[in-house]
Amino acid sequence: MDDPSGPRERNNDDMLKRKDMIFDDIVRELTQTLNMSPTDITVDLSLRNDLILDSLQLYELVIDMEEAYNIRLPDELLDEIDTIQDVVDLVYKLTE
Amino acid sequence: MNSDVEEMSDSLVRIFENVLLTEEKSLSRGYFSDLSLAEMHTLTAIGPYEAKNMSQTAQLLGITTGTLTVSIDRLVRKGYVDRRRDDRDKRIVRISLTREGKLACRMHSKFHRVLAKRILEPYGTDDRDRLLTLVKAIDKHVEGLLQRYEGTEEENSIRKTARQIVIETDDKIKKKETEDNG
Repeated sequence: MDDPSGPRERNNDDMLKRKDMIFDDIVRELTQTLNMSPTDITVDLSLRNDLILDSLQLYELVIDMEEAYNIRLPDELLDEIDTIQDVVDLVYKLTE
Repeated sequence: MNSDVEEMSDSLVRIFENVLLTEEKSLSRGYFSDLSLAEMHTLTAIGPYEAKNMSQTAQLLGITTGTLTVSIDRLVRKGYVDRRRDDRDKRIVRISLTREGKLACRMHSKFHRVLAKRILEPYGTDDRDRLLTLVKAIDKHVEGLLQRYEGTEEENSIRKTARQIVIETDDKIKKKETEDNG
């Protein structure tokens, strides 16, 4: 039987799945760095203000994401980042 | 009152010395205090992304490959640089930064960025544009001065002095390491 969902819905599902994967990777990284429970990490948390990541911890996350997704996250792009959702969106955009 | 020329001369020398001193102090108090400023600049020349070869990195730093080899030996021992032979051409040595090296490089770039940000902060868009135009003109002028010495006896002597500074800094580091260990 044909898939009842149209191409737009399928694209949307793919996007959400990929964003979920990126989020999971970030959670894994942050739980190791900050010794937090994965359930405490949500997309709306601010990296600097809520999780209080210092520059070194932020660069650790950035370097690991660069290697995992084969992308470049220069400082000019990092200036725009506040929440975990911002990181997810940026990584998704760069790997599209 | 000082003339414009004297004020400019004093400011240039002071800026050069103070930036260097601030870099050294921030480095010695930061996460990567086992790196000298020269070593940090070597990491920056290699950069956090694709592997480089020895000659292009030496050229970027204005030093010989022999001097670079000594520096790279130490950075490999400290765990900041990875050195391997090119898969296709075994004569070529490729150098790249380890995760720790990338971290150091990015933290140091951040230092330069924050410095620039703070300098520009008090100014509006028009003043920033004017300031950048003037700074670029100074940069170009000094670059031109340096190029006049390219390949001349004077340049060789400047390079020798630079190498001497590297050797003296190395001696100081080794002495400090011996003192710390002993």
